[in-house]
Amino acid sequence: MTPPSSLMTPSSSVTDPIRIDDLTLAYGAHRVLDRLSLAVPAGSITALLGGNGAGKSTTLSALLGFTRAQSGMVAVCGIDPAANPDEARRRIAYLPENVALYEHLSAVENVDYLLALSGQGAGQQPAGRSGHHRNRTAITDALAAAGLQDRAWDQRLGGFSKGMRQKVAIAVALLRQVPVLLLDEPTSGLDPRATADFNALLVAVRARGTAVLMVTHDLLSAADVADRIAFLEAGRVAHEVTASGPERFDVRALHARFQAVGAQMSDGQVSDAQENSGQVAA
Amino acid sequence: MNLWMQEWRLFSRQRLAMMALALLALLTSAALAAGIVEVSRQRAAIAAIPAAQAEDIAAVAAYVDRTKDAGSAAYYSFHPTWDAPAPLAFAALGMRDVAPYILRVRALGLEAQIYDGDIFNPELALPGRFDFAFVLVFLAPLFVIALFYDLVSGEREAGRLRTLDALPNGGRALWRRRSALRLALLWAALGIPFGIAALIEGVAGSTIAIVLALIPAYLLFWVALAVFVGRLRWNSVTNAATLAATWLVLVLIAPTLANVAINTAIPVDQGAEIALAQREAVNRAWDIPREDTMRRFYAGHPEWADSAPLGPDFHYKWYFAFHQNGDDSVHDRVRAYRSGLEARDAAGRALGWVLPSVGVQALLTRLAETDLTAQLGYQDRIRDFHRRLRAFYYGYLFQARPFERGDFGRLPRYQQYSFSDVRI
Repeated sequence: MTPPSSLMTPSSSVTDPIRIDDLTLAYGAHRVLDRLSLAVPAGSITALLGGNGAGKSTTLSALLGFTRAQSGMVAVCGIDPAANPDEARRRIAYLPENVALYEHLSAVENVDYLLALSGQGAGQQPAGRSGHHRNRTAITDALAAAGLQDRAWDQRLGGFSKGMRQKVAIAVALLRQVPVLLLDEPTSGLDPRATADFNALLVAVRARGTAVLMVTHDLLSAADVADRIAFLEAGRVAHEVTASGPERFDVRALHARFQAVGAQMSDGQVSDAQENSGQVAA
Repeated sequence: MNLWMQEWRLFSRQRLAMMALALLALLTSAALAAGIVEVSRQRAAIAAIPAAQAEDIAAVAAYVDRTKDAGSAAYYSFHPTWDAPAPLAFAALGMRDVAPYILRVRALGLEAQIYDGDIFNPELALPGRFDFAFVLVFLAPLFVIALFYDLVSGEREAGRLRTLDALPNGGRALWRRRSALRLALLWAALGIPFGIAALIEGVAGSTIAIVLALIPAYLLFWVALAVFVGRLRWNSVTNAATLAATWLVLVLIAPTLANVAINTAIPVDQGAEIALAQREAVNRAWDIPREDTMRRFYAGHPEWADSAPLGPDFHYKWYFAFHQNGDDSVHDRVRAYRSGLEARDAAGRALGWVLPSVGVQALLTRLAETDLTAQLGYQDRIRDFHRRLRAFYYGYLFQARPFERGDFGRLPRYQQYSFSDVRI
């Protein structure tokens, strides 16, 4: 019996900002993604859960054009990232697990620099002091929207917490107004308050029509904010659940499912029965 | 603010990197200043020659005027020669550090006078005086290593690499931009002080342009090496250690070993050995019949053969004849010595195509006219002057003409050649 390997819901379409079809990717003899299919529509958040080595980060790498697939298709807003990485990356904001920025630059300067590297921001601003001022205003507005307190805007990042750094990175994503946001373990290491702040921020980003793909181990956070949760196992989606409206996922059932997937990853024995067990209702 | 300005802001906030650049600029300026001081000292010494020479000649003239003896005039008169520094000499002192740039010669045997110092192969010698060439060839690569060893690995270790690679203007374009900026800053730290010093010293625009082009070309070699090591994806410490070891090999060990190999392959007498052989020949002349000496001298220089025979008393023409014979006796060794030096120099220059440090040093000393070619050119001019000097005095000695006070005014004068004749 073929396990469910797709998040292709009836609502998914070829216009989805993130689209992966039948993707197979291997490092040498080790197959990391095995005919993975996934789609993230605009204005939605998809959480990708799975044990270590399930292929979560590799999925992000494929979307960023860092790795080339053996077969299958990856598209970011219709662009193949492996063939045209710069064009794809113009449409992606990416937050790694540990947001490491330049500690000897201030928050504003970091945003300014990353915007410039994105081909946006300073390069598109009018020249002269007024242009510089407008640029700074836009950056500080974004930092404020990301929840960074104004006294931290001109401070160097040396003393910033992970949550504060993430807010700086989110400010970049907000300013770039990209259709795709990729997050790698965004809430690991955050305290509950910072996690709640971050999730609120993600909801705001989603409201702007951004397609968010979040790789995480944090089931609670995923259940709190995601529209869909996919359990990745041995390089394919072993299970998927969706939520809509005010009611959220059944966290206990999700946790049981997550543990089951983790156990399968640990002993390396995956059966069709196991893959299909523990179906969790939205 | 464009991407370049952004990169500059990022770079300028790195205290260690900025300190490294400032240090390089400081070392460059200090080396240039030291070079200018040394060259000015040499120029001052050369400028003082005419007055000192006039004083010396006046004293000799007063003495000779009593006897009208050309032999005494030739024996007691020293005649200065000098090798004035070329405009670029301040940047690469080269052999001016070890070879004489002022030589006072007498009409006696030349070889014992000219080989007071010895000539080595400067391109392959270990670091000499602290000058601009030293900073560029030996120190600048260390600054390239300091600014490039962690260009990519540092970002990887700081956890930023994936973020940067995920940006449209990140990745290769970013590394190219950062490399170009660092290269430009290194070039500025070396090139701007050099350009100012060169303008002060009156170096020709074309020569300045060549040196300013040579700087990034040499730096680019080290940048390419650092980028290559960076691509191996080692950590920053390993990169730094690898590059430092490569520097040691390419700048110090390989040229030194090559020097040993070339010297072994092309054996050359020491100049001092030639001087000693000439002196022994001269000293032996006191113990052999004077007629034998004169016969040998006339055989080699028949234009003076109609001179009156020697009398029983001492005569300076015999004395000068055996000095000339002494020179003639080592003529073949002198030629072999010179061709050996030229062969070693050619081998050193050929090595410059393989070892950039050797090549850059050779090119700089050639442009500055402080290399072996320039030094041999100075020797040629000394020999030519000495030949004229001998011919002048021999005209009095061998034709028994009295040497009047006014004859000192007709002495051949040493002339410096024009620097515009120099070819690379």
